[in-house]
Amino acid sequence: MTQNADHVLDHFELFRGPEYQQMLANKKKMFENPRDPAEVERVREWAKTPEYREKNFAREALTVNPAKACQPLGAVFAAVGFESTIPFVHGSQGCVAYYRSHFSRHFKEPSSCVSSSMTEDAAVFGGLNNMIDGLANTYAMYKPKMIAVSTTCMAEVIGDDLNAFIKTAKEKGSVPAEFDVPFAHTPAFVGSHVTGYDNVMKGILEHFWDGKARTAPVLERVPNESINFIGGFDGYTVGNLREIKRLFETMGVDYTILGDNSDVFDTPTDGEFRMYDGGTTLVEAAEALHAKATISMQEFSTEKTLPFIAAHGQQVVAFNHPIGVAGTDAFLMAVSRLTGKEIPEELARERGRLVDAIADSSAHIHGKKFALYGDPDLCLGLAAFLLELGAEPTHVLATNGTKGWAEKVQALFDSSPFGQNCHVYPGKDLWHMRSLLFTDPVDFLIGNTYGKYLERDTGTPLIRIGFPVFDRHHHHRRPVWGYQGGMNVLITILDKIFDEIDRNTNVPAKTDYSFDIIR
Amino acid sequence: MASVSATIQDVFNEPGCGKNANKSEAERKKGCTKQLQPGGAAGGCAFDGAKIALQPLTDVAHLIHGPIACEGNSWDNRGAKSSGSTIWRTGFTTDINETDVVFGGEKRLYKAIREIIEKYDPPAVFVYQTCVPAMIGDDINAVCKAAKEKFGKPVIPVNSPGFVGPKNLGNKLAGEALLEHVIGTEEPEYTTPYDLNIIGEYNLAGELWQIKPLFDELGIRIFASISGDGRYKEVAYSHRAKAAMMVCSKAMINVARKMEERYGIPFFEGSFYGIEDSSESLREIARLLIARGAPADLMARTEAVIAREEAKAYAAIETYKPRFKGKKVLLITGGVKSWSVVAALQEAGLELVGTSVKKSTKEDKERIKELMGQDAHMIEDMTPREMYKMLKDAKADIMLSGGRSQFIALKAAMPWLDINQERHHAYMGYVGMVKLVAEIDKALYNPVWAQVRKAAPWDLPGETWQAKAMAQMDAEAAALAADPAAAEAARRAKKICHCKSVDLGTIEDAVRAQTLTDVAGVRSQTGASGGCGACSERIADVLAAAHVPAAPILQAAE
Repeated sequence: MTQNADHVLDHFELFRGPEYQQMLANKKKMFENPRDPAEVERVREWAKTPEYREKNFAREALTVNPAKACQPLGAVFAAVGFESTIPFVHGSQGCVAYYRSHFSRHFKEPSSCVSSSMTEDAAVFGGLNNMIDGLANTYAMYKPKMIAVSTTCMAEVIGDDLNAFIKTAKEKGSVPAEFDVPFAHTPAFVGSHVTGYDNVMKGILEHFWDGKARTAPVLERVPNESINFIGGFDGYTVGNLREIKRLFETMGVDYTILGDNSDVFDTPTDGEFRMYDGGTTLVEAAEALHAKATISMQEFSTEKTLPFIAAHGQQVVAFNHPIGVAGTDAFLMAVSRLTGKEIPEELARERGRLVDAIADSSAHIHGKKFALYGDPDLCLGLAAFLLELGAEPTHVLATNGTKGWAEKVQALFDSSPFGQNCHVYPGKDLWHMRSLLFTDPVDFLIGNTYGKYLERDTGTPLIRIGFPVFDRHHHHRRPVWGYQGGMNVLITILDKIFDEIDRNTNVPAKTDYSFDIIR
Repeated sequence: MASVSATIQDVFNEPGCGKNANKSEAERKKGCTKQLQPGGAAGGCAFDGAKIALQPLTDVAHLIHGPIACEGNSWDNRGAKSSGSTIWRTGFTTDINETDVVFGGEKRLYKAIREIIEKYDPPAVFVYQTCVPAMIGDDINAVCKAAKEKFGKPVIPVNSPGFVGPKNLGNKLAGEALLEHVIGTEEPEYTTPYDLNIIGEYNLAGELWQIKPLFDELGIRIFASISGDGRYKEVAYSHRAKAAMMVCSKAMINVARKMEERYGIPFFEGSFYGIEDSSESLREIARLLIARGAPADLMARTEAVIAREEAKAYAAIETYKPRFKGKKVLLITGGVKSWSVVAALQEAGLELVGTSVKKSTKEDKERIKELMGQDAHMIEDMTPREMYKMLKDAKADIMLSGGRSQFIALKAAMPWLDINQERHHAYMGYVGMVKLVAEIDKALYNPVWAQVRKAAPWDLPGETWQAKAMAQMDAEAAALAADPAAAEAARRAKKICHCKSVDLGTIEDAVRAQTLTDVAGVRSQTGASGGCGACSERIADVLAAAHVPAAPILQAAE
């Protein structure tokens, strides 16, 4: 056929060849019961109407294109943030393959994670044997310092008791008795990936602080001046955590990052495979109990963890994925207040630069309308930043957003004149978003890679901010937190605005009188 | 063909320019703008001035004879728009190298002209002289002449190398090139009683197009546009127009005046910035055309269009008025725009607290006084510290300025809107005014300005540079208030003539002691205004004040 060895075509080109086109056309004609194209067109147009939107929003059972992932995904994300820790997912191996590929596609890194590979037998008789064998094999093959156990739905439906199973496994000699095997139940049918993150983070802290499932003495808190930092589930973890460390070090803060997965998702290519890299050491995880306070960057990623920490006597502070000047101000002020450290001139200058950049570009963003979707905290952080820029976050949607989250977003809208015509959509999906984009159009859409179909359908230009971003490389390396991070988000938004201006003015001899060098 | 220096002398002898007309012969020879101060951050050069004045002619190939710097840095950097040809935007340069500098660049220039004509066949090639070939003695006039003869195409030398002076001089030299080589070289197919030249308008952001529909409706033909969205042929036969409108008063006044002189084309200086200015300009155009033979009903039709457009524009602006209530504007801009925008902004309900007059002529200043009242703050030079003080004292909510002052505004924590060339919005005419008002609204209400004015949350009150500068200014003011002698000394120490470093006190003493009555007298006694001559107006003010002792000297920030 048309493929030849001197010039091998990729699928972009190959299937455009006449023989393939003929094949596809025949298949459609003979086997696919094709509809009248005019009818297809009519329905397509109808699906853009307010009438259709009403039907769409009346959906009760069906979710179409949800913008959320499952608890165990978040569980794995949290677990790999600890030193030489392998996430062990008790349940079906297929699920685990999903988490691994998900992270690999986003971070372009290998993602190590094992499962207990439960089969039909296990589903009927319980997964104890899978736990016993799985822990033993994992310990023997991958030499971890810790195995963090979470679950898939399968184990949860039959009600496997992780605490008891791990105890039994240890008794059977799968792993040494003193080996750290924290655990958390993380069924996908409850919450989303941010819930899973929360559960595992709490599970690990509970393990170290509260006596390792009654196999060790409960630690006694001896308060010191350090602070703990929890990033939450975050697609920008590589760039963000490194930026946060830089901020802390610039301020001279004594800190512990709990769940530091910035290195394991960004290993160097130097001939050595690192199954584990970096991470919060187990000693640090235990000693984090003594810290003066814990800061969570994402309230909805730590809904259980923070109260747990507070109950141990620490101060806790939660943010909503702060982006921009005011968000970073509040974060740094909290750090300063908790540690007594002053904010150094270097950071004041970074702040001034971000304000300067925003002012320089303000006219281009002012009054632009944005639709955005993503995790609840990211939506809050981005919406606040957009308001700060004088833009309107017209539609804010989180499939895993709760009623409480929606109230918070509404309060944010109410705080700014630019929020007056903005709406929040908790629990809605991307098919709802599609109707919104047709019936109440905006200038730009902010979301993850999945938004590209909305971009294509509705013509709303997509700005990729969120998780996952599969079809663009290395975004996760750039922080979105701190003033520098705010600068990155600003530039990302501006780039798209200017690209659109160029795209709309580039027809030779027709619109290119405005195809300018200077914008 | 006149030499560059002779042309420059001729340009300086500009009776159409009030400022120059008031100067002595000696002053005039020194030039019409402030001499560049070595070590200062200066504006553009004469080459740049010539290029920006002519480049909007869109079907012409603009060939820059010089090293890469001149074209490379200026390529497509103005927001002029074209309704057709794109050749004006193509960066043609001889890009001369070391060998050319040693052996001369004339051959390369000649070949470059030939290649342009062979490959692009434009109606004309404009060749711009720059510093380096001018210094090594490349005679572009001779090359252009030879090329013209050889190729049978107009090849126009624009002799305005950067070192001859500032940008404004370059504008005028560009005008001279048109007068000498282009205007009057062709004849139009036909003429009408409605043929109007527009001079000194560059169609930035397409603003000329905002006016054109009104002209079309009235049957007025833009006969030649010099140079916004202009065509070579139009300029070449522009001497057959019935009347002309001069838009940017300082840039090409020589063209309008000489065309009046040579071809009897009457002109007026007008502006399409602001609603009333637009109406006034339309009336003036109608009046001039009628005087040259257009039917008298043109005026009635013009009035009808004005009435309709004004009503529409005011209705559109009306919605902003409540949002602008009590909002104050500081204008930092040059020349024509200061007064024409003043009127426009007042129409939108904004209050003006000051305007810069750095590039404005005496007439410009008079018009500002007419519009803003006698006590208008006309700011000659303002430091960021003074700007900040104006803002802090709630004297301004927004600053409108050219691109370069933008950064000063930002550092002074002031909302800012660009109203000069490098902008992307068209503000001309009735529609343009509505656009300007919308942009001001954006700038006033963008949340970043509140952010800009707020100190970082960890800053203690009184520790920002602004607070420190304010404290310092207050302390200085308090010290002066407490000590009348020091205050008087400070007042007298204000520099009037920067070139000759003469202060106010010296001039006042001389005026009193010698009972001087004119600038020439002051110059002979104190040397003031013996340099660039730009301070002669300030000296005139001192003279006026000496006769009315109570009048205070205007200062940037009181």
